[in-house]
Amino acid sequence: MSETSWGLWGSWDETASLLGKQVGQVTGPDPVEQGSIRRWLEPKEFAADIHTDVNAALAAGYNDIVAPASMVFTYGIAAYWRPGDKPASIDDVPTQIQIPVIFDVPAPCDKSFATSIEVEFFEPLYPGDVVTCTSKLVDIKPKQLKVGEGAFLRQEDTFTKQTGEVVAISYLDIFRFVATKVASD
Amino acid sequence: MSAAHSLSIADVVIGDELPSIEIPITLQRLVMEAGANRDFSLMHHDVGVAQTTGAPDAFANTYFLMGMFERLMRDWAGPKARIRKIGPLRMLIFNAVGDTVRFRGVVESLDNNTCTVSLAMWVDSERGQTVTANAVIELAG
Repeated sequence: MSETSWGLWGSWDETASLLGKQVGQVTGPDPVEQGSIRRWLEPKEFAADIHTDVNAALAAGYNDIVAPASMVFTYGIAAYWRPGDKPASIDDVPTQIQIPVIFDVPAPCDKSFATSIEVEFFEPLYPGDVVTCTSKLVDIKPKQLKVGEGAFLRQEDTFTKQTGEVVAISYLDIFRFVATKVASD
Repeated sequence: MSAAHSLSIADVVIGDELPSIEIPITLQRLVMEAGANRDFSLMHHDVGVAQTTGAPDAFANTYFLMGMFERLMRDWAGPKARIRKIGPLRMLIFNAVGDTVRFRGVVESLDNNTCTVSLAMWVDSERGQTVTANAVIELAG
């Protein structure tokens, strides 16, 4: 499974120098609100009243309409464009959601793909909440795989709301590598 | 789901299967999904870019898969359940335009003291098993 991209080039020493450090922080541009929740539910054909009906949410023990737990990622994503920015084309490095261990952590690698993600949820998200995502590089594991030589980089993302409460903590594993050259006769 | 019943820990036994969800992956659904979850990586809505990554067509992104697993759990457990953890979630095969995918899950273990249930979940399609994920959900009591 590949989500290829170039990533930030540098030495393994530069990669190691960032281990345990913050490598990114983004505050989502939009607060939690009912319209974005409805649009998120729609393509999944997801019908749960706690996300759309305040009375149903109160009856289930929430303080208000509650955002789906996994929407925390969406509310922690930066805006993509500013007025006047050039649209992406096929020859560009793909515009992706922020993944600092690819785009902000140097490594001598020109390919990468995500292998695994896990997320633990804590405080619920309610209308008006604003999410900040703080990313750390928490592990580097050199590895030779069939596709090439490189390392697994683990990104810890801590999602907090404006009160400082932790909403979720996720771990994303990315394999960054240089593709193995196929020998030719 | 209206005035839905919420499962309690006493309702659940190891091996219980969650009612599966079958959903076709269409380009319209992926475009709606990208707009809603804000993952605008090109391979999830542009067939040309998707094919440069080895995929047969535009393919579903991680946040769609996460959200569908959340729906699978919510449909089963009801409004009072609290989703505590999803993952590790591993993507094995592309879920691409034209595929019909099924989200499925089974109860692996339960803890009566904390009212939590551990689930093994997966996605399958004509291509085989495409995604696996574990999860922990806290039931109403």
